[in-house]
Amino acid sequence: MKYFCLIFVCLFKNLVCLDYDGWLNIKLEHNINCKNEKFCSRGNISLKSIRAGTAIISQISFTKDHIDELKEIADLDGLYSVRSLVTSADSKETEFLSSVKAKLFLENRLSDVISSWILPNGEVIAVTFQVNNLSQNQSLQYHKGEYPINSNFYVRHVDLAPVPDTASYIQKLDREREAREKGDLKDNRSFLAKYWMYIVPIAIFVMISGVTNPEPAPQASR
Amino acid sequence: MGVLSRTLKPNFLGLLKFLNNMNWFIVFFSLINLSVCIYEDQIGKFDWRQSYVGRIKFSQFDTVSTAKKIIVATEENVLAALNLKTGQVVWRHVFETASAGNIQLLHVGEKVTTVTGSNPYLVRGWNSATGVLMWEWSLTLQNAQQTDYSEWLVQNNMLVHMLPVFGSHLEVTMYNLLTGSNRGATSRLSAAWSNDGCILTGPYYTCVSGDMGSQLLLSLDVTANAIQFISKPLSNYINLQQSIGGNLRPLDSSVVPGFIVDDKKVILIKEGSFVMVGKELVDETASVAVIDGGSEQIMLQTWADDVKGFQLSAYSISSNSEVTEIHCSDPTMNIPEPEFKAVMCTRKAKEQFACRILVNGADDAVHLMQQGGRVLWTREEALANVVTAEFVDLPVSDTDAAIESEFDQKEGSVWSAFSRRLHSQYTQLQNLIRNLQGQSTQEDSTNALVRDYFNLHKIIVLITEAGKIFGMDNLSGEILWRRYEPGLDAEAVVLYTRRSARHPPHDAYVTVVGKHEETGNGYIISLNPITGNLVGEQTIKLDVRILQCALLHTPDSEKLHALVLLDEDETVQVFPISATSLVENLYMYVAEKESGKVQGYALKYNGASVEAQRTWSVRLGGAGGAQVAAVASRSRLERVRSPGRALADRSVLYKYSNPNLVLFVLDTPDPTHKEVVTAVVLDGASGALLGASQHRRARALPLAVHADNCFAYLYRSEKHRRLEIATMELYEGQERWLEPGAAFSSFASDRAPAVERQAYILPAGATAAAVTITERSLTDRHVLLGLTTGAVIEMPWAYLEARRGLTGGDEALLPYTPELPLHAEATLNYNRTIERVMGVFTAPAGLESTSLVLVTGLDLFYTRVAPSKTFDLLKDDFDYYLITIVLAALIVATYSTKYFASRKMLKLAWK
Repeated sequence: MKYFCLIFVCLFKNLVCLDYDGWLNIKLEHNINCKNEKFCSRGNISLKSIRAGTAIISQISFTKDHIDELKEIADLDGLYSVRSLVTSADSKETEFLSSVKAKLFLENRLSDVISSWILPNGEVIAVTFQVNNLSQNQSLQYHKGEYPINSNFYVRHVDLAPVPDTASYIQKLDREREAREKGDLKDNRSFLAKYWMYIVPIAIFVMISGVTNPEPAPQASR
Repeated sequence: MGVLSRTLKPNFLGLLKFLNNMNWFIVFFSLINLSVCIYEDQIGKFDWRQSYVGRIKFSQFDTVSTAKKIIVATEENVLAALNLKTGQVVWRHVFETASAGNIQLLHVGEKVTTVTGSNPYLVRGWNSATGVLMWEWSLTLQNAQQTDYSEWLVQNNMLVHMLPVFGSHLEVTMYNLLTGSNRGATSRLSAAWSNDGCILTGPYYTCVSGDMGSQLLLSLDVTANAIQFISKPLSNYINLQQSIGGNLRPLDSSVVPGFIVDDKKVILIKEGSFVMVGKELVDETASVAVIDGGSEQIMLQTWADDVKGFQLSAYSISSNSEVTEIHCSDPTMNIPEPEFKAVMCTRKAKEQFACRILVNGADDAVHLMQQGGRVLWTREEALANVVTAEFVDLPVSDTDAAIESEFDQKEGSVWSAFSRRLHSQYTQLQNLIRNLQGQSTQEDSTNALVRDYFNLHKIIVLITEAGKIFGMDNLSGEILWRRYEPGLDAEAVVLYTRRSARHPPHDAYVTVVGKHEETGNGYIISLNPITGNLVGEQTIKLDVRILQCALLHTPDSEKLHALVLLDEDETVQVFPISATSLVENLYMYVAEKESGKVQGYALKYNGASVEAQRTWSVRLGGAGGAQVAAVASRSRLERVRSPGRALADRSVLYKYSNPNLVLFVLDTPDPTHKEVVTAVVLDGASGALLGASQHRRARALPLAVHADNCFAYLYRSEKHRRLEIATMELYEGQERWLEPGAAFSSFASDRAPAVERQAYILPAGATAAAVTITERSLTDRHVLLGLTTGAVIEMPWAYLEARRGLTGGDEALLPYTPELPLHAEATLNYNRTIERVMGVFTAPAGLESTSLVLVTGLDLFYTRVAPSKTFDLLKDDFDYYLITIVLAALIVATYSTKYFASRKMLKLAWK
């Protein structure tokens, strides 16, 4: 029974510690090339199952206008902001905001990492965008007048924290006590390995006394 | 020997080397202070404790016992006896903080009697000389809803409880003071005229009742067997046309029952009738006391005049004349809103009056005065409620400053530099000669506040809840300056050191950012921490609420770090305005305490002004919302000592050393697990989440600490009903992400660090937490925990390490134990209990081994800690003479043996 429980716990740990499974929809909006509004659509990420974590990402490709505006922001060392609107099965639309340096986004050929942090009860607490600092000198991939965005999406789970593990500690103490009751642990080291700390000083003492009391030197024969 | 075998490699050569070095070890051990705790003769050498009682609520002179004392009961639920001569605490009892500890009544007779709590009440008697509890009984009232209006009175060894039911009757119950036995039932006195403006003075319950213009002044003796009722029209005493009428105020200290009507007329009740005192109140806010000065009754008044300062006047009621001996008018004395707490006057034959007057100010300071206003002692009770504290460096001495300024001047020819050098050396020589002649004493007294060699001497700036700011010498605990800011709401106050005293021509500069008491808008006070005077921007009252504030990391030309404020309407203000153009790469975060929503702002100078752009926003509690219990961010004094740590297999585990990390601990209600605690580590600049964990069925404590890549926070596990401490450590892994020396950027990284987590049981209640800080962070890091037992314990980080549970035989890690050991010798304050520890503040000293610690609470405690022992300091009782003699003897012996050896050789050669 105990083993069964253990296996079960192991399995459970390997699984994602989610209480409920559900779908998730993240609407992405960014702040470039929007005519009059502050934010306009960049794409959409949808998950059928949070537990499975596989997402379908559909995003627009940047046009020349997008790139120009991004370059303008990059010249000022400005930030490219993305607003994400998250809808799930049991919560209404929640808004998150995240920004990356426009310069780095361009240098990384429009590739970013999107992570969505999810509580065990299935609620999203943050959607963050990050870019890497690997500045690749290759120019942007030009593809039929469009620049596609490379996004990697990860679902990150807020794990359950460890609790002070008293049970296994008590078991460990019990094992040690049992071992002590059975008799001392067999020390299978060699005699020299065990008692070198006693032998060596004696040896040194003998040596030193040998050095300090040298044999009276034989009289030099003239 | 066992220790040796572990520390040394078991080979022969190593051991030989060790034995060779053995004599050096003897010298070495004699230099290092290996003791963990202090010796008995070191008590009070590096530390001090100051005991406080809090703002005084009731006080009475204890005239019965031989040692003269004042018995005080305070707002902090403390009962204490103060020595009349020195003002020191003779004995003290600290009751519960909640309403169960509220002191309702203090009566000093032969024994001290207190009534504490709020239904059930506890009636206790104390020995006034020793403070020992003599008796105790509890009292529970039947109808619980009206008990807030309860009034208590001690008369003829009976405890009188009076409960008014407004507009109906008074319920009066008498109890035997010692036993609590009830004499008969509760008597109901009909009083249809009672209202919530009524007051109880002595045995009389007094009201103003009736229609406007024809009010009656009514008084009823609540203890009398036969009903004694006094009723007079109010118009007999005051002119009802000129005032609204009917405002009663009790006398602050009185031997006869009496009250003040409309802050103007004083009426006493004598022999069953109202007697009006011939003198009106001088000032509306004046505090009034009526005392028995030998044969006559004297009315004392005190008030603070804007121009004339502290005012004290006395008036003899029977002879209708001023008593000039007691009178005082002192413009230098600054007691805001003085109030009599206890007054006692005696008159020996026809000699002068001998008075002892206990006056309490609005700044919570309590003064004991003589007649004529001479202050015998002052207690700064505001220090019982310290909100925040900061250690400030002292300036260097004049001679050191001269040397520094000499090297500062870069321009000029070689000859001018040479002449400067000669001049400064001439002044140094002069100083030296003066020192040798013993004339340096007067210079020392004026310039005592200079930095010492190890920078152990500092000034602690303390901000208290009462709005009083103190400057305190950290070595002696002496208050150097104090400043009362009545407008400062110290609830959420931030203290910044904007310029340290290291830039000689400029003074040190600290700024207090808080809220204004009345409006809640921003209120900024700039001070010189050495003198306590206002400097620079002085005080600024903003007309908007502050959302967040920060210091600019780059100083301006005057070495002053600008203060950047983010307003409620997301505009940015920079003080001084000249530093506006320096704002660059500044990021701020704002957390909403009630919802768990955290937002980040990027601040940038656009050529004309600084504007804030909202860059990130997360909801850490989910959509449902959560309470932010604790936030821990990096201390500005913190440095990173090493990029990683060595593992058992000689590889390096690199730390994730992001300086922008912030830990949020949130309390979230949960439908299935009752309550959960979520801890989130995020990057304060980019808003990226780096680690998060959740505890089920737990409740967070507002205690969290962060240093380098380590986090610790406390929570109460509701499931196991115990306190637990969780730790988190962030690591990059075995490979370094960035090149050594490369600057870290929060924005240029998409990798997630590995999060190590662990939790431990803390077998005590904790109320404060802090980490030690040292100059270069080379020494170990200890977590200081203030416990409910009044101890402050030092917990090495090695015990809290998140990697402690790992298997794999890493010898640098301790084996996992679920419960943290609380060794008695790890208690910083040995047997000096600190009541109600509220905060622990740490600061680095100039010595790398040492960190300065201030513990606040009801008491103040200062000490210094050496987490890795004092490796850079000779021990306290180091024997300089012995080592000098030994060295000299060794040198003499060496040369003499050399001489003798050469003679011997010569003799041998002749043989």
